[in-house]
Amino acid sequence: MSRDEKMPMDCARFEEILHDLDRRGILDRALRESALAHAESCGRCARLLLEAESLDFGLRTLAAQDASLEAPPRVEAALLREFRRKKIATPFRTLSWRLAALGAAAAVILALGLLIYYKPWRGPIPQGNIARNPVVAQPQPGVAPNNSTNPVQASAVSGSQGGSENAEAATAPATDFVPLPYADRSATLEGGAVVRVVLSRQALASLGVPVVDVENGSPVAADLIVTEDGTPQAIRLVAQENTD
Amino acid sequence: MEPTDDGLLRRMIAGDEEAFALLYRRKHPAIYRFALRMTRNVAMAEDVTQEVFMALIRDAKRFDPTRGTLGGFLFGIARNHLRKRWELERRFTHLAEDADESGTLSSAEAPAASSNGSHGQTTAGHFEFTAIENTARLRQAISTLPENYREIVVLCELEEMSYEEAASALGCPVGTVRSRLHRARAILLEKLRGVPPVRRSPAVTQ
Repeated sequence: MSRDEKMPMDCARFEEILHDLDRRGILDRALRESALAHAESCGRCARLLLEAESLDFGLRTLAAQDASLEAPPRVEAALLREFRRKKIATPFRTLSWRLAALGAAAAVILALGLLIYYKPWRGPIPQGNIARNPVVAQPQPGVAPNNSTNPVQASAVSGSQGGSENAEAATAPATDFVPLPYADRSATLEGGAVVRVVLSRQALASLGVPVVDVENGSPVAADLIVTEDGTPQAIRLVAQENTD
Repeated sequence: MEPTDDGLLRRMIAGDEEAFALLYRRKHPAIYRFALRMTRNVAMAEDVTQEVFMALIRDAKRFDPTRGTLGGFLFGIARNHLRKRWELERRFTHLAEDADESGTLSSAEAPAASSNGSHGQTTAGHFEFTAIENTARLRQAISTLPENYREIVVLCELEEMSYEEAASALGCPVGTVRSRLHRARAILLEKLRGVPPVRRSPAVTQ
């Protein structure tokens, strides 16, 4: 309030601070005394001061009259009931969260276990060749039965169309039939037709067979057991003769 | 030594029912009075009080002691509840001077109001709150203030909050609290003088 102290007290200044005159800690002592001195010499401001003091008195009276007002006991009773209800509900909610977390953890562990069980790769694959023991891998979302975009089936069709060309490359089986990841195991070796196909290395990899040098463009011959609906169930790689 | 509000709140959050009861008994009268003075409706004041403390039970951790007092926080909740209700029930937005509906307090019914019937207006255009003045007229004048001014009078004058506390409760700057209170008092004086509340022209410098 140093700026205020320097300003001369007049009616405008007086009105500006009138309602803070009786309020503690708002005006400093010098400014307050200056305002009161002004009111002593100005009839209008003296009347305003009297009004303001009367209002203060009235408000204090009103506050004192209402000081004992309280909400009825039923409000407290209702709140205490709610407090107890929440106190009981909270541990249950915590427990249910814990159970949910445990369930989720168990599901993750189970999923990991199944994944490990169905995907037992055993170390590095010999460079430049397809693994001698192809294994079942994760199901590939792109491999769907009766889907013309299925790389296996597409290659199989091309394989059958160009069978005479590929027949020279493919000769004897190199591995036993290995079920594909999504195969219906009971139907794997029963009632299916064996189809010899030529697959690109990418297509072979998409079936879950570990392949090194995927970018290599040379095709790979394989036998597939295909069920009546055209779904490949098992694969057997075919050893290739070196034509060079 | 009495436990602090913060201490009680911490105990309450930990599930101590006694701490909550103590906190309620300590804080609820001011909230109830605030709601009652803002609405002049006992049932609504009870509802608002209950809602404020329900909110505290549900989410006491929302209170941040670095941003103000617990009292200010509770007043803020009460004010929000009142505003929501006013939005729904427009009839409470501008309470008629002679509002005397069922459940709404008239001046004479106000819990602690005396009713000797005399007014404080003495000389023409001049108000003096004399010893024989009853508070009914002042209560009435407060209840007819616009909402923004009424809440500031209730908080700063009747609940004796500091400007800082009121600013925290209302979520506005201290300067706004001060200027609103000055204007509210000026309107009150005009009402009590019996002249229509008009904006005062710049004072004549002596």
